[in-house]
Amino acid sequence: MATKQPRTLSFHFQPADSAAGDDANPHAKKTTLVDDTVAALKQEFGDDVLEVVQYAGERTVRVTTARIVDICRFLRDNLGFTYLCDLGGGDRFTEDERFEVHYNIVNMDAGKRIRIKVRTEEESPVVPSVTSVFPAADWNEREAWDMFGIRFEGHEDLRRMFMPEDFEYHPLRKEFPLLGIPGSLPLPPQVPTGELTLDPFPRAHGSIPPNSFDEVESEEEN
Amino acid sequence: MSIIQTTDFKETLKFWPRHNEAIYRRLESKHSWIEENPHGDGSPVDPLHNEMVLNIGPQHPATHGVLRCAVQLDGETIQKSVLDIGYLHRGMEKLAESKTYQEFMPYTDRMDYLSPYSNNVAWCLAVEKVAGIEVPERAQWIRMMMSELARISAHLLWMGVGLMDAGAVSVFLWAFQLREDLYAIFDEVAGARLTVSHSRIGGVVTDVDDTGMAMIREFTETFPVAHAGWIKLLNRNRIWIDRNVGIGVMTKEDAISRGMTGPNLRGSGIQHDIRRFEPYLKYDEVDFNIPLREEGDALARYFIRMEEMMESIKIVRQCLDKLQTLKGPIRANDAKHSYPSKDEVYYSMEGLIHDFMYTDTGTCPPKGGASYHAIEAPKGELGFYIESDGTGSPARVKMNTPSFTNLQGLEHLLEGALMGDMVILIGTVDPVLGESDK
Repeated sequence: MATKQPRTLSFHFQPADSAAGDDANPHAKKTTLVDDTVAALKQEFGDDVLEVVQYAGERTVRVTTARIVDICRFLRDNLGFTYLCDLGGGDRFTEDERFEVHYNIVNMDAGKRIRIKVRTEEESPVVPSVTSVFPAADWNEREAWDMFGIRFEGHEDLRRMFMPEDFEYHPLRKEFPLLGIPGSLPLPPQVPTGELTLDPFPRAHGSIPPNSFDEVESEEEN
Repeated sequence: MSIIQTTDFKETLKFWPRHNEAIYRRLESKHSWIEENPHGDGSPVDPLHNEMVLNIGPQHPATHGVLRCAVQLDGETIQKSVLDIGYLHRGMEKLAESKTYQEFMPYTDRMDYLSPYSNNVAWCLAVEKVAGIEVPERAQWIRMMMSELARISAHLLWMGVGLMDAGAVSVFLWAFQLREDLYAIFDEVAGARLTVSHSRIGGVVTDVDDTGMAMIREFTETFPVAHAGWIKLLNRNRIWIDRNVGIGVMTKEDAISRGMTGPNLRGSGIQHDIRRFEPYLKYDEVDFNIPLREEGDALARYFIRMEEMMESIKIVRQCLDKLQTLKGPIRANDAKHSYPSKDEVYYSMEGLIHDFMYTDTGTCPPKGGASYHAIEAPKGELGFYIESDGTGSPARVKMNTPSFTNLQGLEHLLEGALMGDMVILIGTVDPVLGESDK
């Protein structure tokens, strides 16, 4: 097959990258068309619904941070959105309202999915915890705390999810270096008698670590 | 003198002291929903009544990976449990922010390493949604067929390992025999046995040729025979039933509020399957059933997974029939959004430039675009939330992984269970730590 020459070159560049269709997206789903829900939220909470973004057939509703628990409770009790599917933090890396948290909530009976978003300041990133409404938010909020340092007020067990408690940084923040910070995370020694490994990527930082297969100096020889 | 005798492990292994302290503090302070003393109603005191804290994992074969369970026992009953994950945390979400969309795809193989194909498809679909890329029909059918084979492969491993946890080693070997056939199919179709990386943004990398089709067709004929044998052995097996029935019961309300997903959710009687909820690929064009059970115990989840495998075979057969007649391109015909074919790369200047540009920059979804796309992976809902900043690499990727949410439910399931059932419970929830730890 490799010897066959292509008859025509069928690839072409498009002049501009269009904003791939609001609702005309080929992968848009019926479940995310939740204009009724957005209208109900606007009616109930008025000015607390700050912004409704429409993209790829999805609706993202940005609301006031302080009212997120009320809004979640209203969604669960009145509109049937009982299943919290996903919750995650985000770092916009802007001067004000740097961090954001999104909630992906599903109404199983009506087949609807909505995304709620709140934002919080960099100085004291605090968001009310929704674990009282959705117990499923427990680990997700711990993950957002671990990765972004967003504190969830009212969460009864806000430990780190993935990193050990001894770690002092929040790795998914944009300013955290990709190769990590040497010395921030002590790891087991490379050789049985060695020191703790303080740098997970020593070669990238210019030092050569001992190999695990290196011979250990025995005491008899010394 | 040996190394062990001369090394003071007390000193060397003392890293992360605050982490352990936090886990034990949590275990101490956790509110327990279990009766303080099950025999507190005046009946004689249980001679086995004594409390202890036990750590299982992260290096324990029955934890199916690097799951650490710190449990507080009263006799043989687990009073409180705290799960500690993160021992396989590789920071995939951080890595994604420094890769192009296509470059990140092979990383998804390493998430749920029992069904890499589903992960590839999930990622590619999520990128295609945020960038608005249309995928040719044939590629969609190939993706669907291979994802269903991946589901069978993942469920086979669950079955083999689950049975081995319960003490039956032979089923493990039988399951791996069939898994070997599946690996051969993946090897033929994708060129790799485990980390397939077959899906590309905008389609798949290679077409399924006649050899591959014949292998898959043969598998759809041999698998039901083997499956019928397992059903015969297990469905009315006294030991297996007794070991599973009434264990780890998850009520309907609990399953929803704890966010369980996949077979764990359907085992509790909730009809929720992304393939029906928001059909992706061509799932709205194939005929299949979604197994459902009401009991919510380990046995219900066993039946669900066993039936799901046969439903997958049904889907694979329909895909095979469709692919016989449906010919056409396997990748989107758009150089901005997908790789050109190798013919074009080797024999035309433009093709080479496009290939270079795509490797260098790749797909650039519109600035400010953000979307979430989920698929029904073998373990449950696997979704990617992608935010774009208009460049070739994502501004934020949030992976919603089924094992993570299911493990959260497992912590709840373990409380009140017997210590001896713990291994069964971990098996029945079917977590993959590569996925939950991201």
